[in-house]
Amino acid sequence: MKRIFDTQLIGPFAAMVIVALIVALTTERFLNPGNLSNLSLQVSIVALIAIGSTIVIFAAGIDLSSGSMVALLTMILAQMLKFIGIPLVLALPLILFIGGLLGLFIGLITAYGRIPSFITTLAALIAFRGLALTFNNGSPIFSLDPALEPIFYGKLFGVPLPFFYLVVFYGLAAFTMNFTKLGREIYAVGGNPAAAVLTGINVRKVQTTTFVIAGFMTAVGAILMSARLNSGSPNYGQTLELQAIAAAVVGGASLAGGRGNILATLMGAMTIVIVQNGLNLNAAPSSVQNIVLGLIILMAVGIDMWRAEISTLMGRIFGRSSSQQSSNVKKEA
Amino acid sequence: MTPATPLWEFADITKAYPGVLANDKVCIRLMPGSIHGLLGENGCGKSTMIKTLSGVQQPDSGQILHNGKAVTISDPQAARDLGIATVFQEFSIVPTLSVGENIFLGNMPLSRFGVIDWAKVHDEAASVLAEMDVDVSPDTITSTLSVGEQQLVEIAKAIAMDARMIILDEPTAALGEDEIERLHQLLRNMRERGTAILYVSHRLDEVERIVDEVTILRNGCVVRASGETKINVSEIVSAMVGEDIGEHYPKEQNATEDVVLEASGLATNSGVKDVSFSLHRGEVLGLGGVLGSGRTEIARALFGTDELIAGQITLKGDPVRFRREIDAIRAGLALVPENRKFDGLFFNFRASGNVTAASLGGLSRFGVLNLKAEEQATHDLIRDLEISTQAEEKTVNFLSGGNQQKIVIARWLFSASEILILDEPTQGIDIGAKIAVYNLINRLTRAGKSIILISSDHDELLAMSDRIAVVQHGTIARTVDASDLTHDDLVRASADIPHSKPEEAFA
Repeated sequence: MKRIFDTQLIGPFAAMVIVALIVALTTERFLNPGNLSNLSLQVSIVALIAIGSTIVIFAAGIDLSSGSMVALLTMILAQMLKFIGIPLVLALPLILFIGGLLGLFIGLITAYGRIPSFITTLAALIAFRGLALTFNNGSPIFSLDPALEPIFYGKLFGVPLPFFYLVVFYGLAAFTMNFTKLGREIYAVGGNPAAAVLTGINVRKVQTTTFVIAGFMTAVGAILMSARLNSGSPNYGQTLELQAIAAAVVGGASLAGGRGNILATLMGAMTIVIVQNGLNLNAAPSSVQNIVLGLIILMAVGIDMWRAEISTLMGRIFGRSSSQQSSNVKKEA
Repeated sequence: MTPATPLWEFADITKAYPGVLANDKVCIRLMPGSIHGLLGENGCGKSTMIKTLSGVQQPDSGQILHNGKAVTISDPQAARDLGIATVFQEFSIVPTLSVGENIFLGNMPLSRFGVIDWAKVHDEAASVLAEMDVDVSPDTITSTLSVGEQQLVEIAKAIAMDARMIILDEPTAALGEDEIERLHQLLRNMRERGTAILYVSHRLDEVERIVDEVTILRNGCVVRASGETKINVSEIVSAMVGEDIGEHYPKEQNATEDVVLEASGLATNSGVKDVSFSLHRGEVLGLGGVLGSGRTEIARALFGTDELIAGQITLKGDPVRFRREIDAIRAGLALVPENRKFDGLFFNFRASGNVTAASLGGLSRFGVLNLKAEEQATHDLIRDLEISTQAEEKTVNFLSGGNQQKIVIARWLFSASEILILDEPTQGIDIGAKIAVYNLINRLTRAGKSIILISSDHDELLAMSDRIAVVQHGTIARTVDASDLTHDDLVRASADIPHSKPEEAFA
């Protein structure tokens, strides 16, 4: 367990707690049980998609496609339920499968076509949105299935279901990243692809796998999005991909790959949603929300980049030098 | 006759970092027209000293005298103004700019209107290059030059600013034998003209060849100063390490008659041609040759990285075909690449992740890793190979070069490879760590493993190999017993008319 809950979690956790404290102290309604349960609903979609985005980032890739893929998948799901008449129990696994398939497609082009993932997923971001518009003449499809809404709004023992989805999927992701061969290979490919090749790791296969995971998790997010609004729309999921990447970055994942903790992404997503929630409760306009989100991302990465300087400053303020610092210096001397 | 005034005198230079005294009252006197070697193991304080000398940092105490007058070197620009040029280990040239632009980078000659005077850039760069006897046009884009030529451009920068003192930090780490000779000739010419040169190197054979005086540091202190030590490799080594290290090359004879690997007529598109040799159980087969002769390409061909277009590899009598690296690894081959930083290590992992990277399949059941076994095995290897115990807790970027190299080799011990290809395994690591690598080679051959050793250090190659295959233009020119070769034979054999067939030479 020491492995999962390591020091990489301290920063993102502290950031989340500080943000929550500030919002709690300044906003009366924040700690209402109603608001807290609303929070877990709000965070669920972006946090689940962020699992995939983060794993792609661990392997030194980037996934810009998830927002558009959500729109496309909600339209396909709506089409299935409303017009084709596929029953829900069959439609849901099909959507998960299609999500994985789209991810596989992106992954194969990226890894075997040697095209940077920034480009392939940017292309997908644009193309998937267009593809979503080809259904139902580009109009949203409403009132899909009465059984769909409980998937998002249902409760178990009084706790909203999305809370359990988060526990299950983050549990699985943390297990995969920390205890399995695949997880280790993902970190290895992100850390040093050249060395990974020379140690016999199938780098392209690993890269492709991360996109399959991302596609699958995006499909999970798309199902929740459809359930939340009981509809499908080509306009859903705008900038969702950026929020998911922001969650990973605020959680401390290195965009250079190889470093980060998947559970920190959940905290990153929580931090972002708590801030948004606090601004909402104080009736801040969406313009302010976006500006604040931008500043949070900048600050999170800044704190990461200036870690050494900050710890030196702290050392000077509190009058001690940490042992880690002196041993680093020794290496350079 | 009065003794000459030193050009630069650094007296009692002390510099402490939190928790470590990096330089303790170090004195160095640099005479004009003299090449001064600054030696010592990693962590002895050389880099700290260089930073002080080039104005990157200020000493805590001590005096700096320039022609007998006290000065402070407040920053790198001040160092430049005082005529000090530093050629750092990591090149500071911009690969996308031309040679001329690089030579005058930060110091561009301007015309009256404040724009760059390109004619002057070209002419002056050309005259500096001509003076150095370097046949490169100032208009060439620097990235198209060989590493050796880039190093010479770096030095041209120093000459162009008319430096009276040049600091060279490991200038030959990336150079081949003929390029080293060219660099040394250049340094001798500069010495003739009265330049003071501070030469920092791990390659003691070079030091013996070119240096006039030495200063040896250990634990931040001067242990031998100029004039005290005859420039003799074994004396230098014992002064650096602080004890009599005994045999510098502790070679064990473990070769047997069993052939484990046989290559016949190998060829690749990367320039390997008709390479045939056999490797015996317990043997160290050295691949000698100049930089770019094709040694690394032969290693890549054996390891399945480059596709074979002709030839056959036979392992213990069975013909094999490696499509990818993983095939070679499964068959018991291992490659410790030349550049451990870029191709060998995972800097995001601690020792454990690095050690097990090539054996994840065997370490897992149904895809789940046995982390307990991983930690235990890593712990044992760290103890066995005397790797810093920090490696268990910290990511490997915090370790010294020697410890890093041991971890890359430990990876292949853990994967139980039978045949190890070691490409420049001791490059850039200090003497103590080198000897540890040699002992590791002995241990491997004693256990019946076979080694293909690639090294540009001729003494090392001669001493540690059982047989040596001399590589020229991508093929093995001849294979001889190491004991039948001398250093000079090897230099001559590998440099054998290197440019007689330019169309076949490696790019």
